[in-house]
Amino acid sequence: MRIRKNAQRYFLLTLRVGLGLVFVYAGFLKVRDPIAFAGSVAAYKLLPYFFNYLVAATIPWVELICGTLLIIGYRVRASAGIVATMNILFIALLASTIMRGLDIDCGCFRQGGEKTSAWIAILRDILFLSAALILIAEQKERKFFSL
Amino acid sequence: MTVIVLLAVTIGIIWNYRLLRDVYTGKLSEGTPAPKISASPAAVLIPAGLAQVKELHDKKEAVFIDARESSVYSRGHIQGATSLPLAALDSDLQAFMEKVPYETNLVIYCSGYGCHDSKDVGNRLLQKGFRQILIFDGGYPEWKDAGLPIEGANQ
Repeated sequence: MRIRKNAQRYFLLTLRVGLGLVFVYAGFLKVRDPIAFAGSVAAYKLLPYFFNYLVAATIPWVELICGTLLIIGYRVRASAGIVATMNILFIALLASTIMRGLDIDCGCFRQGGEKTSAWIAILRDILFLSAALILIAEQKERKFFSL
Repeated sequence: MTVIVLLAVTIGIIWNYRLLRDVYTGKLSEGTPAPKISASPAAVLIPAGLAQVKELHDKKEAVFIDARESSVYSRGHIQGATSLPLAALDSDLQAFMEKVPYETNLVIYCSGYGCHDSKDVGNRLLQKGFRQILIFDGGYPEWKDAGLPIEGANQ
């Protein structure tokens, strides 16, 4: 019973820190180059010109802060909730590119690199969404740097 | 949740204040960081700011492509730009490809904010084998407002 509890605890820790690292990485790359990210957002052809930049200026910071909070274990459920919401949004956007026949890079991580197909990006986002939902359901709020 | 989102959005806006201000007013400043042309053969469209395309224009290191209607192009365009309107791409593309080598740097623009023709033309050129394609999002309005060289009937 105790072993099972410990295993569950470490599984949640791995999930939380892993998801946090992914989002810190994704946010950091975009914060460094908002113009390139604005280009990726514009490729979705959904927003007027200025709003592409507004999204490019703000979303990476949401990713960066949520990722950091997940890593340090503070406000985990709230951060996981935001991450889950963002992933649902990303999945919907990627699905829209498939339906509209747009062959674009998802702009998820490194901007202007190798193109990631929408299907792969959707599968990846489903994985992140599942991780976030598990954290929302199972994670108890604890203090900083806790297991 | 709301507090985290508001905090992140506020930091993002403050962090990128200059960029957002310049984009909103239609003037990407000289100090705006612009992505450099990569030597890698990655087949992607590269967004570019005014400072970078101006440098390429000054050094004559790129072919400028105007993706707007040819009638609009005639009224005024970036100096030296070639007209390759999206609507007439099928008929004009062959002649363009015979004239311009594949390794040439291309800067494509259209009517600026909210105009996607430059990206559509860019994607077609990527499919045809061109590899160094920059999209100048600010387009003709931003170039003209900056007082940079233009030519055409209404210059």
